[in-house]
Amino acid sequence: MTKKIKLKISARLMKKRTRRASTTSSKQCRFCGNTELAVGIDYKNSGFLRSFLTERGKILPSRISGNCKRHQRGLAKEIRKARSMALLPYVAQYN
Amino acid sequence: MQRYEALVLTVPEITNDELKQMESQLDRLVTDAEGATLSFERWGKFKLTYPVRGNEYGVYCLMRFEAPGSLVKDMRDFFAVKLHNIAMRHLIACVNVDSLVYQRPKSLEEASTSRDVDTFLKENQMGGLLSSMGDKGKEVPQKEATKEPVSAKAEVLEEKEAAVSDTEQESADPSSLSELRRTGEEEQEDDASTTEQE
Repeated sequence: MTKKIKLKISARLMKKRTRRASTTSSKQCRFCGNTELAVGIDYKNSGFLRSFLTERGKILPSRISGNCKRHQRGLAKEIRKARSMALLPYVAQYN
Repeated sequence: MQRYEALVLTVPEITNDELKQMESQLDRLVTDAEGATLSFERWGKFKLTYPVRGNEYGVYCLMRFEAPGSLVKDMRDFFAVKLHNIAMRHLIACVNVDSLVYQRPKSLEEASTSRDVDTFLKENQMGGLLSSMGDKGKEVPQKEATKEPVSAKAEVLEEKEAAVSDTEQESADPSSLSELRRTGEEEQEDDASTTEQE
């Protein structure tokens, strides 16, 4: 039995492949390999943690910030600590 | 012995005496548990990101100490019961990092109160706007200068209108007409006298 080879590729699949190929390379975690920066992940350092919040006060996803799983978890933990101490907002105030 | 730190959010009306009293009480609690206090720092007054117990502002204090793990529960109880009126929030966390250096936000006392627009733009890396702001400042007097003639014209128009209204009123009064005639005669006489002198 000879295996059938799929010669034709559908247009949808072609588009999908080209889209995947055209995307930029994966983001690098800024804390990996930079211990000085990683030390800054602290609930007291609210000014730095504020850069990982959206304008509404939500935690920025790693999809956007480019953090690795480990540092994203640590960051989210410290942000939650800072929120409990009223250093960071749960929800941004809006009028 | 584990190294801990306790961040306390106190009411904004806290006095220095109350703060010292709190420090001594916490110090005694740590020493009783065979620990040692490393530091007690008053951060200052802060504007809170959300109101806590109806307070928009609060004073933060950070205390670092070395103590056995059993103290943490006692300290939490102490904050909840004894310091309930003073401490609004507290957080006790382990300090795993060897160095005790940390970064903290600026309090209201540290932040400069009198900041003009130029310093704000410089601090926030918007120096490019400085020149445009300067140009705008220059443009303002020009606009005022252009406005002035308009206002002068308006004044002239108002004066004319007032004069017209005065003449109308005078024309209505017969006595004013006679006065005008008299003044006209006097002027003519003056002219004649000047010509004779010449």
